[in-house]
Amino acid sequence: CTKDFQEINTDPEASATVQPAFVFTKALYDGAKNNLNLLLGTMQYTTSFNDVAGFGSKYVSSQSQQSSGVFGAAYYQEINELALVINAVGQNPDQVNLLASARIWRAYCYSRITDLYGDIPYSEAVKGYTEANYKPAYDAQKNIYADMLKELDEAAKSFNPAKTNFGAADLIYAGNNDKWKKFAYSLMLRLGMRMTKVDPVLAETWVKKAIAGGVITDDADIAKINYLNAGQDINKNPIALKLYNDDYIKADGNSNTEGGKYQEPFITYLKNNKDPRLAILSVVYVNGAPDTSSAIQKGMPATLSAKPTNFVTYSEPNQKTVLLLSGAKLLFTTAESNFLLAEASLRGWYTGDASTLYEAGIKSAMKQWAIIAPGDGAISDLQINTYIKYHKLNAAGTFDQKMAQIYTEFWLAAFPDAQEAFASYRRTGYPALVPVVYVGNATGGKIFRRMLYPLTEQNLNKASYNAAVARQGADDFMTRIWWDKL
Amino acid sequence: MLCSCSIFCYAQLMANNLVHANKTKQVAADGKMQLKTAIELIKKKFDIKIAYREGILENKSINLSQNELAGFLDPGLALRQTLNGTQLAFNKINDAQFIIVELGSDQQRADVIKGTVFGANDNLPLIGATVYIKGTKTGASTDAQGQFSLTVPSEVKGQPIVLSVASVGFEPLEVAVADFKTPLTIKLQESSSKLSDVVVTALGIKRDTKALGYSVTEVKGSEFTQARENNIANALTGKVAGVNATGLSTGPGGSSRVIIRGNGSFNGNNQPLYVVNGMPIDNSVPGGAATTNTLGNNVDRGDGIGSINPDDIESITVLKGGTAAALYGSRASNGVILITTKKGRKQKGIGVEYNSTYTIEQAINDNDYQYEYGQGLNGVKPMTKNDAIATGRLSFGAKIDGSDYVAADGLTHPYTAQKDNIKNFYSTGTNFTNTVAFSGGTDGIVYRLSIADLDSKGIISTTRFKRQTANLNINAKITDKIRVEGLAQYNLERGFNRTLAGDALGNPNWTPYEVANTVDVRWLAPGYDAAGNQTPWNDAGIATNGYFVINKYQQDDTKNRFIGQGSITYDIVKNFSLKGVISRDFYNYNYTSILPTGDIYIPNGQYTGLKSDVSETNALLTGNYKTRIADKVGISVLGGVNSRRFENKQLNMDGLTFTIPYFYSYKNLATSSTIPTHQRIRTNSIFGSADIDYNNLLFLTYTARNDWFSTLSPQNNSILYQSVGGSFVLSQAVKLPEAFDILRVRASWAEVGGGAADPYRINLSYSNVPSSGLPLQNVTSNDITNQNLKPYTSTTYEGGVELKMFKGRLGLDLTAYSRKTTNDILNAAISSTSGYNNAVLNVGELSNKGIEALLTGTPISKSKFSWNISYNLAYNKSKVIQLVEGTNSFQVASSVGNWGYINQTVGSAYGTIVGTRMLRNAEGQIVYNSATNRPVATGLQELGDGVPPLTMGLNQDFRIGAFNISFLVDGKFGNKVFSIKEVYATRLGLMKSTLEGRENGLTLSGVDQAGNPYSATIPVSGLRAYYNDLRNYSELFVHDGSFIKLRQAIISYNIPVENLKAVKIQSASISFVARNILTLYKKTDTFDPESSYTNGNAQGFESIGLPRTRTFGLNLMVKF
Repeated sequence: CTKDFQEINTDPEASATVQPAFVFTKALYDGAKNNLNLLLGTMQYTTSFNDVAGFGSKYVSSQSQQSSGVFGAAYYQEINELALVINAVGQNPDQVNLLASARIWRAYCYSRITDLYGDIPYSEAVKGYTEANYKPAYDAQKNIYADMLKELDEAAKSFNPAKTNFGAADLIYAGNNDKWKKFAYSLMLRLGMRMTKVDPVLAETWVKKAIAGGVITDDADIAKINYLNAGQDINKNPIALKLYNDDYIKADGNSNTEGGKYQEPFITYLKNNKDPRLAILSVVYVNGAPDTSSAIQKGMPATLSAKPTNFVTYSEPNQKTVLLLSGAKLLFTTAESNFLLAEASLRGWYTGDASTLYEAGIKSAMKQWAIIAPGDGAISDLQINTYIKYHKLNAAGTFDQKMAQIYTEFWLAAFPDAQEAFASYRRTGYPALVPVVYVGNATGGKIFRRMLYPLTEQNLNKASYNAAVARQGADDFMTRIWWDKL
Repeated sequence: MLCSCSIFCYAQLMANNLVHANKTKQVAADGKMQLKTAIELIKKKFDIKIAYREGILENKSINLSQNELAGFLDPGLALRQTLNGTQLAFNKINDAQFIIVELGSDQQRADVIKGTVFGANDNLPLIGATVYIKGTKTGASTDAQGQFSLTVPSEVKGQPIVLSVASVGFEPLEVAVADFKTPLTIKLQESSSKLSDVVVTALGIKRDTKALGYSVTEVKGSEFTQARENNIANALTGKVAGVNATGLSTGPGGSSRVIIRGNGSFNGNNQPLYVVNGMPIDNSVPGGAATTNTLGNNVDRGDGIGSINPDDIESITVLKGGTAAALYGSRASNGVILITTKKGRKQKGIGVEYNSTYTIEQAINDNDYQYEYGQGLNGVKPMTKNDAIATGRLSFGAKIDGSDYVAADGLTHPYTAQKDNIKNFYSTGTNFTNTVAFSGGTDGIVYRLSIADLDSKGIISTTRFKRQTANLNINAKITDKIRVEGLAQYNLERGFNRTLAGDALGNPNWTPYEVANTVDVRWLAPGYDAAGNQTPWNDAGIATNGYFVINKYQQDDTKNRFIGQGSITYDIVKNFSLKGVISRDFYNYNYTSILPTGDIYIPNGQYTGLKSDVSETNALLTGNYKTRIADKVGISVLGGVNSRRFENKQLNMDGLTFTIPYFYSYKNLATSSTIPTHQRIRTNSIFGSADIDYNNLLFLTYTARNDWFSTLSPQNNSILYQSVGGSFVLSQAVKLPEAFDILRVRASWAEVGGGAADPYRINLSYSNVPSSGLPLQNVTSNDITNQNLKPYTSTTYEGGVELKMFKGRLGLDLTAYSRKTTNDILNAAISSTSGYNNAVLNVGELSNKGIEALLTGTPISKSKFSWNISYNLAYNKSKVIQLVEGTNSFQVASSVGNWGYINQTVGSAYGTIVGTRMLRNAEGQIVYNSATNRPVATGLQELGDGVPPLTMGLNQDFRIGAFNISFLVDGKFGNKVFSIKEVYATRLGLMKSTLEGRENGLTLSGVDQAGNPYSATIPVSGLRAYYNDLRNYSELFVHDGSFIKLRQAIISYNIPVENLKAVKIQSASISFVARNILTLYKKTDTFDPESSYTNGNAQGFESIGLPRTRTFGLNLMVKF
């Protein structure tokens, strides 16, 4: 009487076998959309008069748990999906390129988590199904960095042009091995440089290795994902979609659902420096119509606790560029390579000229908006050159002054990827942001040094959590992660 | 007319005879006397009753010598002598009753005696009554129509025949058969002392309660029909010891949560199995129960039991223990609620019953807010529309002084306290129910058809629930050996604008609960502007204007439900019958919810659609054999097989952004997806039971059942489980003082096995993810499947004592039980860093121990006045014994904002509320973070139990002449409730606790984190932020959920229909009914402790659901 039970207990709407390419595409989407958007506030690009939406810029203690979002979403999505892909293709030598791409993307995804939280589950993570490990230990960030760099190195070296690749399922490079290699070395450059405060020697080793391997220096090699303007949300630019849905969907400058606007420091900086990006990124609604005139652009202070009567007069993101749902999301840019190389040059780890690299960084940072939003994002060479003319690297300046210039430019270049700006801010101290002091803040009026683990970890993975806290310090916003040590 | 059949007729006959005797009390001159006179003399002398068919004594005389009374010491001898030579004989029924019968020829005497047994009070046929020919072993039991047929055995042919008729719950009766041609009509009197009760047990078997090794409670259908609840399960509140029934705060057409003897499973369905006329029905909520923390479309769509019309219910039996339920298998491990529907009965013409109830309901205002400081922020009231909108929910303004201010409508209003926002926002709800039932039948076939209409208007003016029910029950006797029964119920249920619960979006209740205290909520009406867009009233777009929800949100759902049953019973040989039943409960559900264009939070709208086809099909075959050995030992054996099929075919159709604004169609969505779900479950079973009784003294029951579950691992999908129960009637065994009617003890042990509630938990599978670009795939669910999934088991020990005294005037029933679930199938939350959010595991162990007491009494029992009391009390202590290895705790649910959790923790009770406290040092001083001027929050701690361990109910019935007055008081004690309403009312400055510091700032003092004395003053300008941050300390919002409520009152008047000669009315009554009348005791100031809005396992949160309502109305019942 049980002969057809197995058939009855098989979901007719599901498949028993995994399609690694389909899962890989999903992992790319998920990894690219798992952003901590509140950091747009922390990095003082945006803010809101509302405590919940304004948490990132106000550090309101009651909203502290928002900061656990990336950790909470990563493992059961992109990290586990990559485990499925790697388990499926791992043993097959014919699929070595698939494995290499998955490993590089996994290093990217993990780096995005550990840079926010410090110690995280890594070596024991996502083994719930395969090894029944429901309580993975947290690895020290130091070891995570060592492994991610090793992974990037091994993966970059393992590509074999004779073998198959993900092809169209690869949203970033459509199966181009050489570009994946550059992406791997670029990430190695990023991660290597992250260690300058904590271990300059190790940093130098990896930065040099990365440069030798070949990093992204051509806009054609930028790591990015293209999106669609309509259809399922997963196919839309995740940062644009989030901003659009949360605040700017009505596009009238006044009905912003969560009270969002650009924050004062960002707009003021662009305006004071006559930055051509201001005109493509920012609008003020005048009589319901978007106006990009520089003169009227104005950022909103983060200290407001209620909707100001002049709310409509503040700048907000341009629907045609920042909020473009079909806009590309840039994962690693030539601008970043150039700025990192400029720093490497300043440190004597690279032979290139720091000024040239710095200028190339600015130029590619401005050009990248035409990649994100072809047409509406275009900035002319004349505008770029004029800007550069007035923003030369101070050749006579100290190392620190040059770093300030480079990483203030990086702050402008990274927008809207606030997570990368947050990481380089913590490492270099630039841009020199003035913390917002708001009643009831959780940081004592300072900018975050890290994000909080999800509360559920205290509940469901207590021993591992406690061990991590004992090693790293209190699960607090002001605890510094390994590479951020003073 | 045949007079010998009912004891009523005896009395009548006696009276007649006495009259006759007085008239003919003379002796005939010829030395003979009339036979009739002689018989009368015998009756008088011996003070006995003698029955006979009218006319048989006429024109007969006897010799005087035959009636020399002085010579007889015994009435038997006297009768024998007197009747000698008259062609008449007599039979002794007992010492006081005799019957005279004719000694006819063989032709006159049929071989077969037929008849029908009725209950004398209600004239309903009695099923399962036993009829024996006295002095023989020939007997039969009555069928579903109360009919029996006996073949007279040869050894008694020609002799007077007496039938002994018995049925549990009735006085036994001996009936002399004087006329074999006419079928007998036998009426049994209910046993006056109620020494024994008959109840319906598993598989519809009627049994004497004294034979049961476990506790059962029966509630008559009439208790549900006067002061009615739309959902019959809610009406169980307070009526049965150990049954914790809760109606939800979700409006008309909402679900119920019924828990019997505690929660037995961590993740599984803890509600009982509902069985209608022996077959299970589906009790699922389409699309699943509402959750505790979901944004949008978190709505209670109503459960399965809510479809049953109270007027169709004859009785409800609650089988609490494992033994009681063992025959129903795994789903009965949480107990079984057996519903027996009304059936037709043989009668002349058509019986018509009409029942109509009209009630109104009103919201109860639980807002215990401060009315000293009004709308505004930092001690300042708003003077512009913008300021008013920005502070629409904030009562941190100036001292309320009656001066002018500007509210969110842009108009100037006096700055005065508005205390009636609950009354002003909610409408008066109404419930109008009409049921008409027709019944009738002949010897061969009886039927009952009822048609009912329920029309409810909620307290949210656009909420409506309509239910039309048609229920047809037919019993037919095809031949002497074959009977068939058919039941068909069709429901059409339509819900309109069911109220959303949980988080703020689209939940209209947030507006009247949270609006600043100087705002009359009606100023926010109609909630939309000329274009149809929402008008803002506060700074959070997510807190939708309640009037916009009422006027523009759209929800409707339609459920077409059909419950069909057909059975055939075949009496193959004497005492052995076979019964086959097929039942199918099927519903088709369509739900659409529109979040309209113009909403502030989701400006372009959202569409949620659900289509669900659910069916529960059962095929059951049972064989039943009964016999008695040497008159003392009764044996009854039952065996059967059952196959259950469950299927749910569901389509979720969701989308965002209406391309053409204000046009609400799935085809008009910019982003949409349709996701099918198809669940199939099968359980095959074989089972048997044996009942043995010895001399009405000792009863034993044994059951065994083997189930095969499709949802389990093929290697482990079968389980055999057994139960044993016994009952010993002490009062039968030893002589007790006369005051004792019955004293018995009972005990049972039962094991029940169960499968996984959901299918597809064995193997990991992969599903496509909706994509407008490249194909995407991921694991189907974030639950780790389990290839070794095996059955869980639930083991119950139970013992009890039943005592009845003073001819039933006092009764006590005590039960103690221990129930343990092992290998519970846990859908355990695990750290997401494992790659999954849950794991399906066979590890849980959970214990429930408790006692139940039922005390009944009739302090006064006079013909004009009587008073009945029934008090029930139950205490259940639950304990989580084991979870996943190495884990002490897992999370079941989280509140809105994650400010509180419901957890299962080893060593604690089932479902504890977990949250943070303010950190205190050893001296109890609050530890402050001196940098932030806020108390330091502790980590997560247990804050109380979410489920009340102690429940009680007190029913009192007064009958004063034609009036009946009844009250039900019930209470629950010992649980805690975490209130989201209070979290918000604190954050928004509505709670009285936020008054401190309004004038000069709030002074904090305690210690800092280093342990040094700390003090600080929060300025008035910082108060809002300070009180807003109190949400980080869950303990502040956790309160004792104990309560006592006057749940129900009924005053009914039995209209004296005898005076209404014009219409043929059998009975009529009119009643004033009221429910949820008064809360006599509670410890929650700002909300009703019974404010749950989900019937899922996460209990312990209040989260801004509909206010509780008080119901008043009238009920009219007429029988033609």
